[in-house]
Order: sequence, then C-alpha cells, then structure tokens
Amino acid sequence: MQVANKLSPFFENLNFERDDNTMVINFGPQHPSAHGQLRLVLELDGEQVVKAYPDIGYLHRGIEKMAENMTYNEFLPTTDRLDYIASTSNNYAYALAVEKLLGIEAPRRAQVIRTMLLELNRVISHLFFIATHALDVGAMSVFLYAFREREFGMDLMEDYCGARLTHSAVRIGGVPLDLPANWLENLAAFCDKVEYELEHTYEALLTENRIWKMRLEDVGVISAEDALNWGCTGVMLRGSGVKYDIRKEEPYELYAELDFDVPVSDRCDSYGRYRLYMEEMKQSVRIMRQLIPMYAQTQPQLMAHAPKYISATKEDIMTQNYALMQHFVLVTQGMRPPKGEVYVPTESPKGELGFYIKSEGEPYAYRLKCRAPSFFHTGLLQKLLVGTYIADVVTIIGTTNIVFGEVDR
Amino acid sequence: MRKYVPKDNVQGKSYYTDRFWVAPRVPREEVTDAHFTGVVATLGVLAKEAHVELGQLIVHIDARDNVAVIKALKEACGYTQCSEQSAVDYLAKDGEFELFYQLLNVNEAKRARVVCRIKKGEAIESIVPLFNSANFAEREMFDMFGIKVNNHPFLKRILMPDDWEGHPLLKTYPLHGDEFASWYEVDKIFGKEYRDIIGPENRDPAKVDRHDTKRFARIGYEVPFGTDISEGETQKEIEYSEALLVNYNKKESKTLDKRR
Amino acid sequence: MAQHQVNYASSAGLPIALTSVDKLVNWGRSNSLWPLTYGLACCAIEMMASGASRYDFDRMGTIFRASPRQADVMILAGTLSKKHSEFARRLYDQMTEPKWVISMGSCANTGGMFNTYATVQGVDRIIPVDIYLPGCAPRPETLQYAMMMLQKKIRRESADMKKNTKQDLTNQTGKRARLI
Repeated sequence: MQVANKLSPFFENLNFERDDNTMVINFGPQHPSAHGQLRLVLELDGEQVVKAYPDIGYLHRGIEKMAENMTYNEFLPTTDRLDYIASTSNNYAYALAVEKLLGIEAPRRAQVIRTMLLELNRVISHLFFIATHALDVGAMSVFLYAFREREFGMDLMEDYCGARLTHSAVRIGGVPLDLPANWLENLAAFCDKVEYELEHTYEALLTENRIWKMRLEDVGVISAEDALNWGCTGVMLRGSGVKYDIRKEEPYELYAELDFDVPVSDRCDSYGRYRLYMEEMKQSVRIMRQLIPMYAQTQPQLMAHAPKYISATKEDIMTQNYALMQHFVLVTQGMRPPKGEVYVPTESPKGELGFYIKSEGEPYAYRLKCRAPSFFHTGLLQKLLVGTYIADVVTIIGTTNIVFGEVDR
Repeated sequence: MRKYVPKDNVQGKSYYTDRFWVAPRVPREEVTDAHFTGVVATLGVLAKEAHVELGQLIVHIDARDNVAVIKALKEACGYTQCSEQSAVDYLAKDGEFELFYQLLNVNEAKRARVVCRIKKGEAIESIVPLFNSANFAEREMFDMFGIKVNNHPFLKRILMPDDWEGHPLLKTYPLHGDEFASWYEVDKIFGKEYRDIIGPENRDPAKVDRHDTKRFARIGYEVPFGTDISEGETQKEIEYSEALLVNYNKKESKTLDKRR
Repeated sequence: MAQHQVNYASSAGLPIALTSVDKLVNWGRSNSLWPLTYGLACCAIEMMASGASRYDFDRMGTIFRASPRQADVMILAGTLSKKHSEFARRLYDQMTEPKWVISMGSCANTGGMFNTYATVQGVDRIIPVDIYLPGCAPRPETLQYAMMMLQKKIRRESADMKKNTKQDLTNQTGKRARLI
C-alpha cells in the first residue's frame, strides 16, 4: 500500500524533443556503475557525448561544518567517512595537518606503524579500484578475485584497530595502539600473497586481455597541460606524464628514508593509468617489506610528548596526578592550537589529499577545508567526456577513481 | 538569566576559556628562500605583504588584483596548478571574507597561498580562464558562502540542491540547519500539509521512547503503529527497597579476626 | 510446510504436500529476495563486500539487481542526504509490491554521526523501513543476519498484502491511504 506523494513516478530520464536534434540523458544519481551518487547529465548526438554536466552533492553531509563545531580530537573519526575505501589515509592527512599546526612530531615507532598502515590502505584502495573498474568494464571475475585479496588486507586492519572500514587508526600525535602479536608475520604473508596474485591473477587476466585493451586504450585521454590545469593529482597526473608524487617531492613520515620508485606513464589514457595502479601496488608491497625490519629497531613510545596538547599514556594518567589533570582538561575542553593557518598535502591513494586548517587559538577549528582529489577529478569529467562514445562513459568514470564521500564531503 | 548567545556566530564554543589565556601564534618567517624571494620580487607592488608560514609562501594581495597576481604566478613563476580555492568567514569580526588560492609549482615542489579579503556583498573575479580547477572550487565557494564570482562560466549551486535557502558555511548558519532545512525533504516529497503527520526531526541522539512502535523494530513482535504495547501496565517510578541499605549494626556485623 | 506420508502406490504415484497458501507464497517470497543495489556511502562498500567472494550473498538466493523494477528489497546503505531523499522515495515508488526496506547503518537509521543540516535524520521519515541494521559500518555478517531476519519476518506475513501490518507514513496515524 503506497501513499501518493508529490513526486512523479517517472523521472525525466530522457529528453528527445530538442531542436538541435540532440538527446539529453540523465545518468544517476543512483547508477550501479557511477561509483556512488554521481549524477551526469549528458547531451548526446547519436552515440557521441556533446556536453557533459556532472551534478554532485548527493552525498553532502556537512563535514566541514562539523569540523567548526567539534574539538580537534572529536573530528578525527569523521575523517574516516571522507574517502571510505582508504580511511587511514584521511585520518593521517588530518592528523598531520594538526601536528604541523601544533609543531609536534610523532615518535619513531608511530611513524613506522603509520607508514605501514598508509601503504596497506593504498593496496586495499587500489585493489578496490581494480575490482570496480573491471566490473564496470565487464570483467566480473576480476571483481571476485580482487575482493578476495582485499579481505585479507581488511583482516590486517581489523587486527590492528578493530574496524574493517572506518579505522580511525591514527591519532593526532601518534597512533593509539602498538601492533598486535604476529601482525608483522601476517603482513609479510599478505605482501607475498598480493605480489603473487598481482602477477599471476590480475596481470594475467587483464594486461594483455584483448577486450580489456580495446575498452581502455585511447579512452579518457588527458594531456599533461590539462591534467595540471584541471587540478588532477595522484595517478591521474602521473598517468599524463607529469612525475609528481608528494611522497617523493615533499616527503612526510618515513618516505624520505624508504627506497621506492614512482611509476609514470606518458600514454595519457585509461590503460596507462591501470598499469600505474598495478605498479603502485607493487611499490607499496616493496615499502611495507622495508618497514617490517624497521619496526624492531624503535622505542616503544607511541604518542608524542606534548603535555599541552596530547594526553599522557594511560599508565601515567592512572598513576600521576598532573597527567590526570591534563587529560581531564584535554578531554573536556579540547586542545587549543596556536593561531595560524596550515595546508598540508599528502599522497592519498586517490591523489593529493590536503587539509587547510585556520585556527584562531580556540579548541574548535575556525575553518577546515578538505582538499579532496576526487572533487577535482569529477570536475574534469565535464571536459573528459565530451567527444567520447556513451559506451566509454563508464570506463572514464571508473578510471578517475572517484569516491563520493570526499567529493561531496 | 538566559545565557547570551551571539547571533553573528552560532558555531560551537568552548564552555570555558581562561580569561588571561593568550593564544600563541604560529611563527611567521621572513621570505629567505631563493625561490620565494624571486616570486615576491616578480609580484612587486601587487604583493601587499608576504611571509612564510610552515614552509609555504603566503602573499596578501588586494582582491581586485587577484587575476593579475595569479596570472603572474602561473606564467612567470611556474605555479601551474591551483590545488584549492575557498574562503573563510570573518563577517562577525571584520565584516569581511578571506579568500585563499592554494597554488603548486610542480617543478620546484613549492606551494604558495594567495590571500585576499573582500567585503560582504562584493564579488570576486573568476580565475577559471587561468585554472580550470577553480571552476568547481568557485562554485563550491558560491554555494557555501554566497560569494558571487564575476565571469564564471556556470555559477550555480553545486553541493546543495538548487532550491536550497541559505549558505551553510556562514558562521550565522547553525550546524543543525534552519527551519527550511529541517523540513526540506518532507516539503519536497509529501508537501507542507504532511509536516504534522511526520513530525519534527529528532536531533537528540540519546532520546529513547519505549512505547514508540515506529522507530525501534520489535523484531518478532511487530504491531501496527500506535498500538498500546504497555499491556495495561503504567509507568512506575522505581522504588528502592530499604533492604538495599547496608546495615551498619556493629554488633551483628562481622569483626575482623584479631590475628590479622 | 506440513508434509504427509503418502502411500504412493494407492495415490497414483503423486507425492502430496499440504500447506496453506500463505506459507507457500511466503516460502517463495522469502527465499529469493533480490535487493536493489542502493549504495549511498560507506555502507555500500560493505554491501559490495557481502556480495563478493568471502561472504557470498548469492548462496542465500540474494542477487543484487540494478533496477528497482526487478527488486524486492531496498537496502539503503549509507547516509541519505536531503538532496538525494527525493530519489530514494522515487525509487521506492518504482519497486513492485511486495517490497521491503532494510535501513543499513547508523546514518540511514537515525542520521548517525552526521547530525547536520544536510542529512535526513532517519530514512523512516520518507520511506517505511522493515529492518534497522545498526553499526557504522555494519559488517557483512550483520547484513546477512538482517536479511535472515527479514526472511523470518516475511514468513510470518500474510500472502494478502492488504492484511499486512506494514504501513506507510500517512496511514500510521489512521488516515486513509490513497492507492496509486
């Protein structure tokens, strides 16, 4: 039994009667291959796209407004929901921005754990990209294989922080927990597994696959100039031949000490970007393998020592009066960072994820702007889709690897 | 006495601030870096003030020069990417918006931020001819703050629906939204006459109504909405029996063995 | 279903099972629930994971459909924003009867942590919900449990949809609902 409402049962999905003989088609906001709530209004001439108009905001949740009404520590779990495929990279980007503002640095062991988690998240996110991109293009079995490996990565995250998707595994000033027993062995096994499967499953299934190549080659071509002009970052930028990886150029955490390569492709098309994602996963595995022995050489301290901003360890809080008082003040009132503004870019799996924080010395941020890579990649769609065929639209949306949590925020 | 709530800034506030507490400032450094010095020299008089804060160059300019400055930065200084563009609301304090443009030089791996201020009601010139990435960013700024951008190719709301009222990131806009926001979906789908039937939004996360048959699914024991599920029992205050009180009668209570 | 021992020799070899129409219909309805892939936010990833290799939703007769016309269950996975609410209702209207709704995750149940201007504070403000699934984000096992609970619920329903207790927003207050 249904109640009548003001909405018409049919949405005007198609509009044929136009003077210039084009057709307007509405794609989304709930389309299974739109990677979330993307709504595209496409103007078609035959099968060719004449004009594309991405309409976003269907997942706008007011996260930036929430940041103005929360203390810095309270806001951290909200950052999980930005790019929900690789939550730790958001937590980290936010925590790093606040740490820069406070002028503190995480201890060595926390840095090792953070870098491990970041790279693990990169592998999880890229596996998800391969899964959904292949599913959009029509390769169902790759989706099932990639999710199989992704679950092992999620198991590791779950072992560490207890959550599968929304990790909050990084705190301002360090990490909350040490690694559980056998975690490093499991990570090493995961590295071996991913490396083996990358070569024997995904590359074997896709790289030389005739259909895959036909669907991806010369689709979604972005020139280097366009990529820079439209604000593309991450794989979208490197796929256009611009070698810029924030981990190398503006190193943060332990990336300056680690040995890894930044793959660049000058093909400028979807296939080149697919190869980059594959190569980046191999590099992430390489980074994680280097980090495993580094863990044992560190001191057990996990949180930075900055009594004005960061609570002491649980043991100190329970035993020492001053630490308890500080903790009480920090929990009830929140930390008060110095006045100033900071913009910190990090290389998230999707691209440059940066947080701009304007602090007025209050426990609440005066303004927080999340610079989300997917937001600008969605903006690029209005240029990239023009002139392509309707069959390639889904491939192009897939290759931009947009996540609507961070597009709309 | 009712607590005074300022009207021009309704965002969350700390409930306690030490009267004598003065917030420190993130150190602002002089421009000493070779690249940044070159940038400031290129801009010349256009840069009203320039300093380095946390490794990034911050240039304060006049809002009317924004296109000229960014063009100079792009063409003469190699800042080929505009990473971000947005605004900060200082209406309550100064009656102004602060706009910033975050730029990136890919070859030198340097970042600069161009900051300018405009009064309420003033518009800013679009930089879309220089950086296409500003297209979405400026639309977002218009949506969130209501700042008009001149010569923007398609200035329209981007994140909020087209028929939305108000600009959410203004400090005068409450976090939970205004009257219009709280009834938006009901008005749109069912119409205003259904407001009474559906009822206001519950913004209290701790609210529990045990006689509510709608919100909490009584799995396995579903009843039609509005059915009386109390089964004749009235809500009673919990009475604490006196037996719960500990009897401190010294004669009856145990005494410790003297040997211990 | 009540199965009776039958002497096949005397009844011309026909096995007979006696049941009520309600049970027969609900047996069919509950064992092939096809959900609409209505992924909105983070929970959609967990919904995908429950359809993928480790959790394998297909073994429960649950196959995700992309079109509301082919779906019985709408799994609202994630935050429903005010801008999107209109489409949620429209898709619900497009589903054919009988239809059920699972609200997956805290955001869909009550607005969850997003207690802001842009979020619908509970999808039950616009569509009637059968199962509320808590968690942020709920694990795939939880979604499967919710699906089993929904099956249990369906099995107790009447085959005649008019008799069922599930009601839409407006007839909850006793107002007469108009049929479309």
